[in-house]
Amino acid sequence: MDRTQPKGLPTRVPVGTMGDGGTTYSGVNPNAVWLNSRGIWLSYVIAVTILHLVLLSIPFLNVAQAWTLTNVVHNIGNYIFLHMLKGTPWETNWDQGKSRLLTHWEQIDFGEQFTTTRKFLFLAPVILFILASFYTKYDPLHFIINLSTMLLVLIPKLPQLHGVRIFGINKY
Amino acid sequence: MSKDSFEPAPRVVVFLTYLGYGILMLFGYFRDFLRKSGVETTHSAIERKNMKDFVPLYQSFESFYKRNIYMRLRDCLNRPICSVPSAEFDISERVSDDGNWHLRLTGKTRRCVNLGSYNYLGFAENKGPCADAAAEALQQYGAGVCSTRQELGNYKIHEELEETTARFLGVEDAVTFGMGFATNSMNIPALMGGKGCLILSDELNHASLVLGARLCSTVIKVFKHNDIEDVERKLREAIINGQPRRQRAWRKILIIVEGIYSMEGSIIKLPDFIRLKKKYGAYLYLDEAHSVGALGETGRGVTEYWGVDPRDVDIMMGTFTKSFGAAGGYIAGSKRLINHLRAYSHSTTYACSMSAPVAQQVISSMKIIMGEDGTNRGQLRIKQLAANSKYFRQRLVEMGFMVYGNDDSPIVPLLMYMVPKIAAFSREMYEQNVGVVVVGYPATPLTETRARFCLSAAHTREMLDKVLDDISDVGDRLQLKYSLNSPVKAVSAEECYSQVDSLEHKA
Repeated sequence: MDRTQPKGLPTRVPVGTMGDGGTTYSGVNPNAVWLNSRGIWLSYVIAVTILHLVLLSIPFLNVAQAWTLTNVVHNIGNYIFLHMLKGTPWETNWDQGKSRLLTHWEQIDFGEQFTTTRKFLFLAPVILFILASFYTKYDPLHFIINLSTMLLVLIPKLPQLHGVRIFGINKY
Repeated sequence: MSKDSFEPAPRVVVFLTYLGYGILMLFGYFRDFLRKSGVETTHSAIERKNMKDFVPLYQSFESFYKRNIYMRLRDCLNRPICSVPSAEFDISERVSDDGNWHLRLTGKTRRCVNLGSYNYLGFAENKGPCADAAAEALQQYGAGVCSTRQELGNYKIHEELEETTARFLGVEDAVTFGMGFATNSMNIPALMGGKGCLILSDELNHASLVLGARLCSTVIKVFKHNDIEDVERKLREAIINGQPRRQRAWRKILIIVEGIYSMEGSIIKLPDFIRLKKKYGAYLYLDEAHSVGALGETGRGVTEYWGVDPRDVDIMMGTFTKSFGAAGGYIAGSKRLINHLRAYSHSTTYACSMSAPVAQQVISSMKIIMGEDGTNRGQLRIKQLAANSKYFRQRLVEMGFMVYGNDDSPIVPLLMYMVPKIAAFSREMYEQNVGVVVVGYPATPLTETRARFCLSAAHTREMLDKVLDDISDVGDRLQLKYSLNSPVKAVSAEECYSQVDSLEHKA
C-alpha cells in the first residue's frame, strides 16, 4: 500500500490559477481522483455502447464477431490506458516523481485497494465477458479469445500484483 | 444571508466533457507522433543527441497536457496589461505564428472592460486622494524600505497602518507584512510550530494556506468544503483518538478557513464554525483575502456580514491587494498573539517590510471606507459593489447560465465545463472588448472549467448591461446556458441599485 499520501485527502483538486502549464500547488495527483468524479461511470458505459454500435454497423461482421470484437477492443484499450502507460500527462510536483513509475491503475485513490472505482473497473470486463459469451452462443473459439483478453485485463488489477513488473517489462 | 448554490451539471454535459477530453487526448497523441516523426516542428525542450543513453532529463509524457491542451489556449492567459486595472484597462495585443508557442506584441492596445481584476472597491486608481497621498509618502520615504521590520524597517507609517487596521477590524492589534501570500505561508509556521498540533483545513483553501500548513511539522486533516458536519466529525475523532501513535492529547487544534473562496464564490458559514470552536476548544484562523472590504454593511468583512463579534475569531488574516488597491497582508487579533508574531514570524525577521507609498495607499483607502475623510464616498463604494454583485449574478442566472456561489459574493464563477469553450469564450469576449479570466483543469476539477468574474465598485450599471448583453450573445453562440432551473426573478434591478441612488443623492 502506498504510504506517501495521508488518508483523508480531498476528492477534488484544490485550486490556483492556471499558470505555467497548469500546475497545481496543493499536491494531489489528479489521476488518483478523476475517476471518482460525477458521471464517469455513465460516460464509460456510453463509450462502450457507442463502440459496440459502431462495430455492429460494419456490414460483414455478424453479431457474434461484433460482440467478441467489442470485448477485445475494450480490454486492449483498458490494458493500454490502465496498465501500460505510466506517469501523468502533467508535472508531478507533489510527490517528487514517484507517480512516474506507477501505472494509472496503481495511482487510483493513491494506491488504496478495494475502493468503489476499482471495483467498477474490475467488474466492467467481467460483465462484457458474460454478455459476449451469451451473444456468441458459447462458441469455443470465441470463448477462448474472450477469456484470454479478460484474464489479460483482470490479472493486473489484483491487489497482489500492485507494483509488480513481471520480467521487468514496463519497469521504467 | 443567502445560501451558496452549486447546481450539479446535467449528465449529458458531463459525458460530452469527457468525450471532449478523450478526443483531445487522441489528437494529442497524433500530434506527438507527428512531432516525433519529424513532420511537425517540435518547440518544447528535447534531449541532446549525445545524451541519448543517459536517464532522460525531460519526461515527455508529463508535459503532454501542457503541449497539447495548455499551449493551444495560452493566448487567453497572461495577457499583458498596460494601464491601471480599474473598471477599464488597456490590453496589449499579441499574435502568434506557430500555434501560441511564441507570442509577439503587435504594438497595438485594446481598451477593454475589466472583469478579472480583484478591484472590489475600485481603489485601483492613479488619480484621486489615495494616489496623491501615496505620491507624498513616496516623496517623504522613498520607494524602498531597505530593512526588515525587526531591524531598521519599522517606520512610523507602518505603526500607523497597523493601528488603523486594528481599528478598522474592531480587534486589539494587527501586524502587517509586505506580501499577501507570505503572510499565510510565513505565519502559520510561527503559530503551529511545535509537535503535537493539528490543522483542519478546508479542501478548497488557497495555496498559501496549504503551503503554510505544510511548513509546520503538524498533522493536517482536510475537511469537505464548508461542511460543518464533516468538521465536527473530524474534530471529535481527533479529540477522542488523540495523536496518531502515542494517543496523547493534541496540544492545539487550528481550523483554517477562508471568508470568500475565490474560485467558487462561496461564503463561509462563520457562526457555525465559531460555535464548533468554542464547544471543542479549537482555534479559528480566518483568511479574509477576498472578503475584507467587500462584505458587510460598512465593509468590515465576513464577521460583519454574519453579525459576529470579531474577537471570537482567534486569528483574522487578510490582504490589502484586493479591496484596498495596494499590496501586502495583515494578521489581526489579541495583543498577545500579535506580539508573539512580531517576534517570531519569519516575515518580520527576514523579509523586508512594506514599501511606504503602498502602506499610505492602504491607510488612505481604509480611512475612506471608514468614513473618516468626512465624506460618504466609502459607503457609496460599498453599496455600489453590493448592488453590482447582486445585479450581475441575478441577470446571469435569469439568462440561464450555471453560476456557483453565494448571492452576496462579488466573485461570480460561470461554469463552462468543456475545455475548448473556455478558450472560445475568452477570445469572443476579447473581440467584444471585455477582458475575462478563464480557468480550467488542473486548477479546477476536471469537468468544472469556468470563467470567473470579479465585480468592482468602479463598474457602472451601463458597463454591466453592455457586458451582460455580450455574455448572453456569446453564451447563445457557444451554447453555455446549461441551467435547468427555471429562471427566478428575486430582486429587480431598481431594488438592487436603490440604496446606491439614495446615497448618491445625499453626497
